[in-house]
Amino acid sequence: MSAATIWRCWAALMLLLAATTASAFVPLGSFNIVVSLAIAIIKALIVLLVFMELRASKGLVRAFAAAGFFWLLIMIVLTGADYWHRTDARAPIDRFES
Amino acid sequence: MSERAIGFQYATIAQQREASTLGMWAFLATEVLFFGALIAAYLNYRIWFGEEFIAAASLTKVALGTANTAVLLTSSACMAMAVTTFDAGSKRAPIMWLAATAALGLLFVAIKATEWWLEYQEQLVPALNFDLARHGGVAEIFFIFYFCATGLHALHLLIGIGIVTWLAVGIGRGRIEPAGSTTRLVGLYWHFVDIVWIFLFPLIYLAGRTT
Repeated sequence: MSAATIWRCWAALMLLLAATTASAFVPLGSFNIVVSLAIAIIKALIVLLVFMELRASKGLVRAFAAAGFFWLLIMIVLTGADYWHRTDARAPIDRFES
Repeated sequence: MSERAIGFQYATIAQQREASTLGMWAFLATEVLFFGALIAAYLNYRIWFGEEFIAAASLTKVALGTANTAVLLTSSACMAMAVTTFDAGSKRAPIMWLAATAALGLLFVAIKATEWWLEYQEQLVPALNFDLARHGGVAEIFFIFYFCATGLHALHLLIGIGIVTWLAVGIGRGRIEPAGSTTRLVGLYWHFVDIVWIFLFPLIYLAGRTT
C-alpha cells in the first residue's frame, strides 16, 4: 500500500461522501436508500480492499473477512422473511401504538 | 527493554503475521454481527413504521454527521499511512500519523457529543427527557436505536483512541517493532470502526431529507 494509493482512495471516499449526502436531497422515493446503501458498500469495499489490505491477502483471510458479512446477510434475510411479510398475525412488538 | 517481534509459538514472522491477521478477522466477524443486529433492527423498524420512522431520522443533524464522516474517513487514511511508513522503516512518521489518527478520533467524539447535546436540548433523549407529545412514539423508537448505535460506535472509537495512543508510545519507546504484527492489527480494528460508521451514516442521517 503506497502513500499515493492511500490518498487516491481518500479522495475517492470524500467524493463518494459528497455524492451520497447530495443524493439524499434528491427526491427518488424508496430509491434514496438504495442509492445511499450502494454508495456505502462501495466506500466499505475501498476500506476493506485497500486500507485493510484484503486485496493482497490470502484466500483464507478473505474467507474469514467475508464470513461475518455473509452471516449478517443470513440474519437480515431470515428475519425479514418473517417480519417484513406479516400482515395479520402480528407479534406482540408489532402492536406498538404510536 | 525491547520486546521480541516474534512470539515464542511461531516459527517465522510470516507465520505469526498470518495467524494474528486471521485471529483479528475472526474477532471482527463477531463485531460485524454485533453491529449487524442493530442494523437489522433498524431495517425492521423502518419497514414497520415507514414514513413516520423516516421522518424521525430527519431530526438528526445532517451537516454535523457529514462532517464527522469526513473526519473518520480521513483518520482511516492517516492510520493506513502509519502502517505504511512503519513498514518502510521510519519511526517518527508512524508516530506522527498515529497522533493524527487519535486526534481525528477525538474530534469525531467531540462533534458527536455536540450532536447529543443539541438532541438533549430538543428533548430527543429517550429515558432522560424524551418529549412524547411533541415527537411521537415512533420517533422515540428511532432515537433509542440512534443512541444505542452511535453510543456503542463512540465506545469502540474511544477504545481505538486508547489503543492507538498506546501503540504510538510503544513505537516511540522501541517496544513495538516493524517486523511484528501489532500496528497492522490495530489498523484493522480502526478501519473496521470506520466501516461501521460508513453504514450507520446513510441509515441515520440521510433518511427523510426529501420530505
